[in-house]
Amino acid sequence: MKSKLTLALVAATLAASAQAQVKVEDAIKWRQANYATMGWNMGRIKASLDGAYNKDEVIQAANVIQAIANSGMGKLYVPGSDKGSGFHETKVKPELFTEGAKVGKIAGDFNAAANDLAKVAATGDAAAVKAAFGKLGGTCKSCHDDFRNK
Amino acid sequence: MNSQRIYLWDLPTRLFHWLLALSIVAAVITGQVGGNWIEWHAKLGLLIVGLLVFRVVWGFIGSTYARFGEFFPTPAKISTYLKGAWRRPGHNPLGALSVFGLLAVCALQVTSGLFANDDIAFNGPLLDLVGKAVSDRLTGFHHLLVNLLILLVALHLAAIVFYAHVRKDNLVKPMVVGWKETEGPAESAKGGGFVALLVALILAAAAVYGASGAWMPAPPPPAPAATTPSW
Repeated sequence: MKSKLTLALVAATLAASAQAQVKVEDAIKWRQANYATMGWNMGRIKASLDGAYNKDEVIQAANVIQAIANSGMGKLYVPGSDKGSGFHETKVKPELFTEGAKVGKIAGDFNAAANDLAKVAATGDAAAVKAAFGKLGGTCKSCHDDFRNK
Repeated sequence: MNSQRIYLWDLPTRLFHWLLALSIVAAVITGQVGGNWIEWHAKLGLLIVGLLVFRVVWGFIGSTYARFGEFFPTPAKISTYLKGAWRRPGHNPLGALSVFGLLAVCALQVTSGLFANDDIAFNGPLLDLVGKAVSDRLTGFHHLLVNLLILLVALHLAAIVFYAHVRKDNLVKPMVVGWKETEGPAESAKGGGFVALLVALILAAAAVYGASGAWMPAPPPPAPAATTPSW
């Protein structure tokens, strides 16, 4: 009886620690959701830069990107999530999981650029937003180039 | 030695050549750099569409040595050239292969770019004609093909160096000034007058307009927000 109880306890503990770890399918799904949401908001800012500038629209969009950039998305790159499917098959390259220093540098640049964009968006200075937007896009590209399958 | 000077490359052909060379270099660089430079990358793409269409039209109605029929590389011509018996001015049969190869790869590259996207802030002007899934595939193709383009350009430059040092034949100067010293009988280029130039320019401009997507219907305006009484 006592050993059964211990076994149940051990099983429950294991289950709890397994829950703390995001499931691969969920991780990939949330990654894709985050990138899609950032895509929506990059598009909103670009529309403002190409057409009539709408300060509130740009602030909303920049804040969303900033929030996602600072959400700790690295936690979604769990072991084993180099392959698999969320909303669709992941395009991540396995190198993302092995070249930690390089990925970390890009992620840091990306966070800084997203913070900077949100900061200048608040001022409503279209020229400064355009520069910050281009810089942010450059950090997206550096990761797409090296760590995403074409 | 009956050396003489002939008019080889007409001015439109030379302008085309150097504009295309500059545009390709600038497009490759802006494509690699990204960020806001992607806007210039897109503009350069449209310029290259215009240049390529101009060159294709000029290949039919331009002056003698610019015409495709004049230098189309048949196996017989290539064989003659490889035996060292080729004496005619203009593109030699191997050079002609390079010309057609470069034009074809440039055309494929620029066409795929019109439908491409970068999942950041750039959508090709004609993306909506094919949808996102096809656009993604064409984007992958665009990224691969640029390597072949760079390889062909490198080969082109290597051939120029080879001709300059081994064959003692300066290919660059005629492409700049138009005139070339030839040995043996050869005639200067004829044809490709003002009307032909105008036709080629109009067709090139039409192609740029088509590629720009400016003719595509604008997305429908958003429905007006439902109004509610002010109280």
